[in-house]
Amino acid sequence: MLARCPSCRNTFSTERAGRQNCPVCGKPLVVPEQTGAPPAAPQGEAPDADESGTPWERREELGLVAAWAQTVQQALFEPGRLFRSARLDRGAAQLGFALLTSSIFWALGQLLERLLLAGQREQMRRLIESMSGAQLPPVARRLLETQTLSSPGAVLAFTLLTPVISFLLIYLNAAVTHGFALLLGQAKRGFAATFAACAYACAPLVLLAVPGCGSFIAAVWLIVLTGIGLKETHRISAGGAVASVLAPYLLFCCLGIVASFGLAMTLRQALGQH
Amino acid sequence: MSAPKKNNYFFSRAGPPSVHALGLGAVAAALLAGAAVLPLEAPPLSFFICPLRAATGIPCLSCGCTHAFHFAVRGQLLAAVDASPLGTLLAMLCAAHVVWTLLRLLGLPWAPLIPPRTARWAAAFAVAANWLFLVAR
Repeated sequence: MLARCPSCRNTFSTERAGRQNCPVCGKPLVVPEQTGAPPAAPQGEAPDADESGTPWERREELGLVAAWAQTVQQALFEPGRLFRSARLDRGAAQLGFALLTSSIFWALGQLLERLLLAGQREQMRRLIESMSGAQLPPVARRLLETQTLSSPGAVLAFTLLTPVISFLLIYLNAAVTHGFALLLGQAKRGFAATFAACAYACAPLVLLAVPGCGSFIAAVWLIVLTGIGLKETHRISAGGAVASVLAPYLLFCCLGIVASFGLAMTLRQALGQH
Repeated sequence: MSAPKKNNYFFSRAGPPSVHALGLGAVAAALLAGAAVLPLEAPPLSFFICPLRAATGIPCLSCGCTHAFHFAVRGQLLAAVDASPLGTLLAMLCAAHVVWTLLRLLGLPWAPLIPPRTARWAAAFAVAANWLFLVAR
């Protein structure tokens, strides 16, 4: 039966009525006996009809592949509907979806990129070496060595590590987003709601398999979907959702600038030796 | 009629840790392990120079966090606080979360309970105080 926690207002499924703890916030509650058609709702609250579960959360009835495909399709083209139907007590399923989608397509993208863009990378390496001669600065040399790390063995190792890296990035992204949502007073329904938004927002990562521009488009789409997801799962305004999503990127874009700045300085040093 | 029994302000009774508590615990452990293993003087961490501070002399909100984690995991708390009080606090929260999650896995029936409003104001105060410290230092 479905029940709603009166403290955190999350809907969850339970096998029994009576006194128990909310699986989301851990607070005690009493689920009344189910007497009629409507699901149990403590303190007279009925759970949302929308929160019936996403296709991925109903994969037992739909089948794994169909559920995954429908979830990706809804996330990309009907995100509001998907996020409204997400159930906050299905954190493990949501993690599984994000992990599966990001790992497989990231690994696939790595392999394709190695096959298709290896020649381009080698050409760039030769160009820098020929322009700077033997006087390559240590930092530039280290960058070039990093480039040569894309040997088959390194690519295979990275591919095998992809699920672990994805897992860490998914939780880190959700934690940072939730932190900013909390600071801005937009975290109305707890971490589980933020996580659901961030997990299903990973659907555009299927584009990581497209070499070149795929990762850029996927990143932009992911940010947009996270905003839509926060709006629906926390039931906040569009402005609050946009602020919560963009604030960490505005702060941490510093790191992107640093990376670009470091690369530019290195190239300048390398070319300046000539 | 007696009033319903409330949870303690800072702790509530809870079962085993949720999947999210475990996931965040794994991330916290990875951050601390990364800070313990990666050297500050070599890439990739050596590339992390704050462009805002380099351009204007004013630190950004997260300035010094990498150094704070580096020193905190080595037990050099004064050096960590000097680098960034906020980074030190985050490192200690990460360590506390890892330890608490392990204890809950072993059967501890309590979970931390901080009301969102309190957490929000505490976080805002910590971020603002940290930035003022970095500017005034």
